[in-house]
Amino acid sequence: MQAKPQTTPLIIGLIASIVVLAILSLMVGPSGLSPRAALAGLLDGEGAPGLIVRSIRLPRTVLALLIGATFGLAGAALQGLLRNPLAEPALFGAPQAASVGASFVIAYGLSGATSFAVPLAGIVGALLSIGGLVAIAGRRASLTVTLLAGLALASFAGAATALILNLAPTPYAALEIAFWLLGSLEDRSVDHLIIATPFLLASWVLLALHAPAFRALTLGEDAAASLGVDIDRTRIMVVIAVALGVGAAVAVAGSIGFIGLVAPHLVRRRVGSDPARVCLPAALMGAALLLAADVAVRLIPTNPNATAIELKLGVVTALIGVPFFLMMIFRERQLLSGAPS
Amino acid sequence: MSVVNLKAEDVVVRLGGTLVVDGATFDLKAGELAVLIGPNGAGKTTLARALAGLIPAEGRIAIEGRSLASLTPRQRAQRIAYLPQGHVFHWPMAVAAIVALGRHPHADAFSGLSAADRAAVERALSATDTLTFAARAVTTLSGGERARVALARALASEAPILIADEPTVSLDPRHQLVVMELLARVAHTGAAVLAIVHDLTLAARFADRILVLERGRLNAQGAAREVLTPERIASVFGVEAEIIDSAVGAIPILRRPIV
Repeated sequence: MQAKPQTTPLIIGLIASIVVLAILSLMVGPSGLSPRAALAGLLDGEGAPGLIVRSIRLPRTVLALLIGATFGLAGAALQGLLRNPLAEPALFGAPQAASVGASFVIAYGLSGATSFAVPLAGIVGALLSIGGLVAIAGRRASLTVTLLAGLALASFAGAATALILNLAPTPYAALEIAFWLLGSLEDRSVDHLIIATPFLLASWVLLALHAPAFRALTLGEDAAASLGVDIDRTRIMVVIAVALGVGAAVAVAGSIGFIGLVAPHLVRRRVGSDPARVCLPAALMGAALLLAADVAVRLIPTNPNATAIELKLGVVTALIGVPFFLMMIFRERQLLSGAPS
Repeated sequence: MSVVNLKAEDVVVRLGGTLVVDGATFDLKAGELAVLIGPNGAGKTTLARALAGLIPAEGRIAIEGRSLASLTPRQRAQRIAYLPQGHVFHWPMAVAAIVALGRHPHADAFSGLSAADRAAVERALSATDTLTFAARAVTTLSGGERARVALARALASEAPILIADEPTVSLDPRHQLVVMELLARVAHTGAAVLAIVHDLTLAARFADRILVLERGRLNAQGAAREVLTPERIASVFGVEAEIIDSAVGAIPILRRPIV
């Protein structure tokens, strides 16, 4: 028997955790604040706590929420579209392409001009990768063709980033790129929030509109099409939406892995396998996970003489994510070896 | 005269440049169970997919007098229920939720099921004898149970046209009969049903009309007694057969493959 879905309690629980984590995120940092001081700083904006909370920790907190939610939702959407629990947002190359754009701007010192430069270049990179994917695979491409084209683009973008790193004019630039690639929300400002948010929200809206199609797709593409789902359109719109959201997220925060893969799995145990119903809880789970990771990097002590003051966000998410991924492969290896499902 | 729900005229389908269906002309009439037979590779599934609007076809396919190509995907889905072969279920969703997908063409995707939707789901579950495991995850069912759930999903849309590609495959003898009787009942209560069936005995017993597809061409159509002759079974299927009059009608008995 399938356990009865417990969607509403899970959503309430996740929202409560997000609120607690958000308050923690406003409190934690080089100068610790009490919950009262953090909230007072947030509300009145006065004094040092006001400055710290409003202009440093609030943008960081909101970005962690939005980006985490984007990864969680994008992962759930791609798993729904591909009917495969191992799908994840980096599959179509958008985050890798965003990394190329951002690395290029950092390498050639263009990022000093304006804080918009790095995220903008990242978003341009992600958009180019979508354009490339659609151009190569075609608008009515099969899933296999789209996946192969995405894989090729992702590898190419990886090589391009390596090349930029290789040719970096100074060791400092190379180091900066290397750190940027590890992912972080350190020192992100309202500007970053302003530039990323429209893309993240556009991605959410597009994915939410296509979520009901994921449910029909559980029957396969032919049956879903016979139920009135426009498969070609759904496929291309979901790929574009994921690229927009994840591309913008990576453009602002660097590479952050595994949230998109892990979040849908964590909620599926509670809400069941309905791929449309998984989307909202997965987004909330993604937000909670990234927020928790971003609080953790500020709490975990590092060597004060180390080059990086904080642990990088991508390091923490991957360190937690990879063992989970391996565990999942272990558990589903029979299925993955081609046994009929 | 019965109402023609689907009219196919000179339908031609090419897949990747290969001519797969070559000029099929026939009607699907309300109240009639039509059974499409033919050897492997004859183009049966391709023809069924073209009729369901899933792949482009040349020629004319009209649904209730309107061109199939002019219908939106949703309008098409409200008129044609299609059961593909294979009975695929990718996620371990509950049986009732799977069958409720049949209401997708009727429901607003973002609101829940209406009372009418729920009643249709219930009818489909009970008609296919799947009510008892409505709450179970579909992936825990046996092949035969899955086949019935897949059929229930197609029935739940209560479309005037039902196209079923090998609905009896992987079913035990009892459930093959149950499913064929069910398809006949759906047809006789007013729908136009087209089923692809490999078992000539089932085809002969239940079909109001048999369509024979051979290498993409519709080479015969009519009542079982006229169409399923030893000569035609020999030429189309390469099987030596005799026709036996039995209590349930004229039944082909297959003797041996012709070498």
